[in-house]
Amino acid sequence: MTGERALPNLDSVIHAQARLRVTVALSVLPAGDKVTFPRLQELVGMTAGNLSTHLRKLEDAGYITITKAYQRRTPVTYVTLTRAGRRAFEDYIATLHDLLARPEQDSDDEDL
Amino acid sequence: MEEIQRPELSAGEQSHLGPDETLALIEAQRGRAARSLYVDPALILGAWGVAWLIGFGAIYLAATGRLGTVMPTWLAGVIAGVLFAAATLVSLGEQVRRGRGVQGPSRRIAAMYGWSWLLAFVGLFALDLALGRQGLPSHLAPLLWTGSSLLAVGLLYLAGGMLWDDRLQYGLGVWVLITGAASVAAGVYGNFLVLSLAGGGGFLIAAVVTRIRGGRAERMRA
Repeated sequence: MTGERALPNLDSVIHAQARLRVTVALSVLPAGDKVTFPRLQELVGMTAGNLSTHLRKLEDAGYITITKAYQRRTPVTYVTLTRAGRRAFEDYIATLHDLLARPEQDSDDEDL
Repeated sequence: MEEIQRPELSAGEQSHLGPDETLALIEAQRGRAARSLYVDPALILGAWGVAWLIGFGAIYLAATGRLGTVMPTWLAGVIAGVLFAAATLVSLGEQVRRGRGVQGPSRRIAAMYGWSWLLAFVGLFALDLALGRQGLPSHLAPLLWTGSSLLAVGLLYLAGGMLWDDRLQYGLGVWVLITGAASVAAGVYGNFLVLSLAGGGGFLIAAVVTRIRGGRAERMRA
């Protein structure tokens, strides 16, 4: 039960290491910028299959937008963080700081 | 701690990290992405600092005959030209490498800023060449060329400071404007010494300050 209290309201879509890293990488881009799939892959160091899986979950949550465009007849996939995604990420970080500020849960966190 | 597993998460993909470890992970990934996405201003400023210091320094030494026959003026000119070309390539290369695979407002701003440099210098060449053709005394030509170049460079750094809310870049623009005015006031060939020491030195100090402040990541995040 203590574990449940230890991480309250932590966004489960973001709170998976792979998706967290993708979200962080996208948040480093200035708002409104989009990045190609291979470049994002390079930024997070994941395999294409792994990255696609996590992108789909982030897209389902409305945190990212995936668009396909054509450049010189080659299809290019672009990924961008939505406004909701950026806000969710900020909330997620704020929640982490809240958790750290509450000392009685430190011992619980060690067990996770 | 089974409770931490959320229903949406399949086994193995949930984070087992505590809040502090999670924050560390965020910082690590943020640093990795920032190093890849943001241009390194210290590298660009350093390349220009070296080009100005050595390039203009060589021209000053050759033109004043302090190097005797060791370095004729033409050779100093070639050295300066090569260094300026190299610094241009470093600047362009950084922009292209960092902007790879990224599209959007920030890239449009960077592209317009890059073209501004080219357009400014095309205009400058047209103006200075025309003045030369219309009888500007040849001993004033070096003052015109360096003075007008520094005016353009200074203004473009002011613009960069405004675009990216970067006081260091804005301050460097102010410094370049002062250096340009001082170089013209110094007259031929003292102007090259001013450009080398004040100009090149200014860029190198800016490069060091940028490096010490530690991070393009923090500074470039608008």
